[in-house]
Amino acid sequence: MAVETAPAKTTTGQKLHRIHVVVNGAAHDVDVEPRTLLVHFLRENLGMTGTHIGCDTTSCGACTVLLNGRAVKSCTLFAVQVDQASIATVEGLEKDGKLHPIQEGFHQEHGLQCGFCTPGMMMTAVGFLATNPAPTELQIREAISGNLCRCTGYVNIVKSIDYAARKLREPAEGKAPDVR
Amino acid sequence: MSVEIGGIGSSVKRKEDARFIRGKGKYVDDVKLPGMLYLDIARSPYAHARIKSIDTSKALKIPGVAAVITGKDLVPLNLHWMPTLMSDKQMVLPTDTVLYQAQEVAAVVATERYIAADGVAAIEVEYEPLPVVVDPKKALEPGAPVLREDREQKNNHIWHWEVGDKAGTDKAFRDAEVVVKQDLYIPRIHVASIETCGIVASWDKVEGKLTVWMTTQAPHAIRTVIALVAGHLGLAEHKIRVISPDIGGGFGGKVPVYPGYVLAIGASVLTGAPVKWIEDRSENIQADSFARDYHISAELAAKKDGTMQALRVKTIADHGAFDAAANPSKYPAGLFHIITGSYPFQKSFVEVDGAYTNKPPGGIAYRCSFRVTEAAFTIERLVDVLALELKKDPAALRMQNFIKPEAFPYKSALGWEYDSGDYGRALKLAMDTIDYAGLRKEQATKRAKGELMGIGISSFTEIVGAGPSKQFDILGIKMFDSAEIRVHPTGKAMVRLGVKSQGQGHETTFAQIVAEELGLPVGDIAVEEGDTDTAPYGLGTYASRSTPVAGGATAIAARKIREKARLIAAHLLEANPDDVEWKDYKFQVKGVPAKTKTMQEVAFAAYTNHPQGMEAGLEAVDYYDPPNLTYPFGSYICVVDIDRGTGEVKIRRFVAVDDCGTIINPMIVEGQIHGGLTMGLAPALYEQITYDEQGNIQGGNFMDYLLPTAMETPNWETAKTTTPSPHHPIGAKGVGESATVGAPAAIANAVVDALAHLGVRHIDIPITPWKVQQILKANGAAE
Amino acid sequence: MRFEGTLDIAAPRDRVWAFLTDPKQVTTCAPDVQSLDLTDPTHFKVVVKAGVGPIKGTFNMSVEFIDLRAPEHAEVLARGQAPGSAVEMRNTMDLVAAGERTTLRWASDVTVNGMIAQVGARLMQGAADKITQQVFSCIQVKLESPASAGISANPA
Repeated sequence: MAVETAPAKTTTGQKLHRIHVVVNGAAHDVDVEPRTLLVHFLRENLGMTGTHIGCDTTSCGACTVLLNGRAVKSCTLFAVQVDQASIATVEGLEKDGKLHPIQEGFHQEHGLQCGFCTPGMMMTAVGFLATNPAPTELQIREAISGNLCRCTGYVNIVKSIDYAARKLREPAEGKAPDVR
Repeated sequence: MSVEIGGIGSSVKRKEDARFIRGKGKYVDDVKLPGMLYLDIARSPYAHARIKSIDTSKALKIPGVAAVITGKDLVPLNLHWMPTLMSDKQMVLPTDTVLYQAQEVAAVVATERYIAADGVAAIEVEYEPLPVVVDPKKALEPGAPVLREDREQKNNHIWHWEVGDKAGTDKAFRDAEVVVKQDLYIPRIHVASIETCGIVASWDKVEGKLTVWMTTQAPHAIRTVIALVAGHLGLAEHKIRVISPDIGGGFGGKVPVYPGYVLAIGASVLTGAPVKWIEDRSENIQADSFARDYHISAELAAKKDGTMQALRVKTIADHGAFDAAANPSKYPAGLFHIITGSYPFQKSFVEVDGAYTNKPPGGIAYRCSFRVTEAAFTIERLVDVLALELKKDPAALRMQNFIKPEAFPYKSALGWEYDSGDYGRALKLAMDTIDYAGLRKEQATKRAKGELMGIGISSFTEIVGAGPSKQFDILGIKMFDSAEIRVHPTGKAMVRLGVKSQGQGHETTFAQIVAEELGLPVGDIAVEEGDTDTAPYGLGTYASRSTPVAGGATAIAARKIREKARLIAAHLLEANPDDVEWKDYKFQVKGVPAKTKTMQEVAFAAYTNHPQGMEAGLEAVDYYDPPNLTYPFGSYICVVDIDRGTGEVKIRRFVAVDDCGTIINPMIVEGQIHGGLTMGLAPALYEQITYDEQGNIQGGNFMDYLLPTAMETPNWETAKTTTPSPHHPIGAKGVGESATVGAPAAIANAVVDALAHLGVRHIDIPITPWKVQQILKANGAAE
Repeated sequence: MRFEGTLDIAAPRDRVWAFLTDPKQVTTCAPDVQSLDLTDPTHFKVVVKAGVGPIKGTFNMSVEFIDLRAPEHAEVLARGQAPGSAVEMRNTMDLVAAGERTTLRWASDVTVNGMIAQVGARLMQGAADKITQQVFSCIQVKLESPASAGISANPA
């Protein structure tokens, strides 16, 4: 599926660059200014506002997305840097009406309060669990140490990620199908 | 049954999670309107300077820049100043002088976010630097540069406030067997909610209606403020709609009105287009309201046996350039006079002086009901200083002195009436949970080996739920709160509130209160707040007031509905209303368990078969003016180990026993305590904003301002006692802030305890590794 | 912040004086000069790019010779701004002749405000040392090179 977006206007004389990027499985060909940050590209050009902005120094992680499967802070990449790449955001976690285990974990373990850091926190966790499916508590804490949360005190976030890790490790067969 | 319907006491999973875990929350920056413009702000690099000229011509030449606004443009509109909540005023944009670094100087409105930033960079301002005053003590000295030229009073003194019996307290000190004194500085910190502040303002010229989406904890009060401040421009309160959408954390930082909000509203009226302003993190920390910044000198008088007798406190409050405190009380130092804490002082006297400095204006509470953390920290630190002086165990000294359970309601020496408490029980539970006796033994063994381990206690009393109308108002508007409940024909209910969640989980907990009172499943109850066009008037969420005030309103509104429902049930049951009782979440004819009607049946009848002479429908509103504040309390014990090489403080264990009265949702209460503890840890060990002599901010971004991450935050252990509030409709006291109030003293006390044998009596927070290392080096204890 | 130092230059004092008090010449040793605009013999404007750590900016500097006692003492006030930052430098130079050599004693009181001060404060000393070294080694090289011998003592 390819979605063609109208070329972004620039009134500043900045040269536009066409990038091809796949976001949550959907291809987009978009003209962007070279200075446009990836997070602004996602939020403003594509209207995907689940990825948030919490700081201006790459410190808080609210903007975390997956770039070719790896967690990155989308405030610290230009959109032109992800040309030809694949991006995953919070909007793509739920598949066919079924929550991703990380989403389930945050809900079950009360891993969120205001919800602002949550998308970034979950994307960091998804990227991390892909590399370490059976982490210790300390490893989880290290993995999310680039993501700030002001509400929860992290205890329940750690539990939420552990919940997801356990759920993701469950063997696919021998399990009753999920009932929606 | 309560658990089945999700009533009070059940850990119902949160309803609001559904949108947040899908990235479908709607925060202010997610609002996008057709033709929307973006506003960005040029700020002063100087902490104090005269503006000689502002050249906006280059900015205006940038394609896409729609307007540039300076202070001079606001003068004809009389919007260059705005009132604060504390009878002071604050600049929106300066016309002559800037008073703090990062102060707003001009605003650029443009078609795109990046172009607005280009415009800001193109504004040229010529400044003449003026002498800078950053120390409030120096600001109050005679001959200090007068910062506020607009005031008639030609010095930097804002106000003097005192409470208590001065003569009696002085006499108690003269007669005392033991006096301990401690100076404490509680540094300037920032709430730093992960979402910064912002607004989308949309002026509809045809309708004459202003709609704003705004990061505010108090949408109704904001609507009234806009009407009062900009009424002369044609903004009338019935044509102002304030929407507080999903809010990414508040903690007090989203109570004040910041110049950016006013500028966006002004820009929308000026351009006729919707205007968005979202501050970035550095702007947020550098210019938005700070918390604390109290220079405290405290003395405690006691008998040799440890009986506490009198407390005397003198404080200088640094308010920055304007007293813009988001303080809901009549007292300039907020609820600071809860400082007698958990102890029955016979005499006490407290005085506070406010000072202007060249720093951003404020302050705000940082997750407490204004100056309560300052008070709790001071008294709990001072008790430990007394324990050291008397060579008494700090737990035993507290147990000896606590206000006894039978003394409640207890009238404090400074005039508060504590509703209920059992302080000894909470401390005992904390000591048992953590094995206090065992820890003391371990400490003795370790100390003999030269290892540094400390145990710190904090047995705090909080004061929340502003508040009774005789003491609490915002610009004269009394601090009641409201709930409106409508039960629809099919037995589903809609609850609208005057408060506004910023993550506390109101959509779940307030539904639980209604579920409990009306016997409806929690899933059948929708909670809506934050839209002034639909919600009843309320003062908002801060000072842990939602449950104590709006919770009371919700329970009473539900009870009004239940009373009407009882009459309808009697009609349906063909019984005398006096014979119908509410039992097991149903109406039942007394003594006839088979004759019952559910609330759903009654709701349907309210619209289809209501008794003749009775109004149809099933709804109620309540505006609840609480008879008193509530007084949550708790005892925290913290165990720390200190690295003798690096000076790093490591929290090994932290047990928090909280008593917030009746608990609505234990899962959410525990989450609130976890978060509160982490915001107590933060200023104890990490966070602070300082200024150099030129007024340059040190700590003005997330690289320098250290929020605790998952690595610094320990695994909090929680436990509870339950002492309901006798005056609250459901006995609840509120819990959002207790842990932030109680935790810093427990941590500081633990560190001092670890170093006490070296002669250390006090260390100002944040207790950084550097400070600890200096102490270790000075005492030959460094590794 | 105060910075100071002494420099021994193998050039006669008149030549050193002429170089240091001539905006056109002395700015050739300033870091990354974008433009120079002479207002009058004692006032000029210069645009320089400078930065501390991650914070960089284009500074519009107004420079004024406030005390000129040829050929031994000069005081220069430089004030400038970049978006979000401001800097003020008060510089003094004293020249002592020692035959064909000159000893330059200099001091600079620097006040920074805004972004550069906030973010760069801890890096300031190092950055200033580096810039100072570059500036003075440039001055030394230019004055000691044979080509500079022809520099006029009256640049106007």
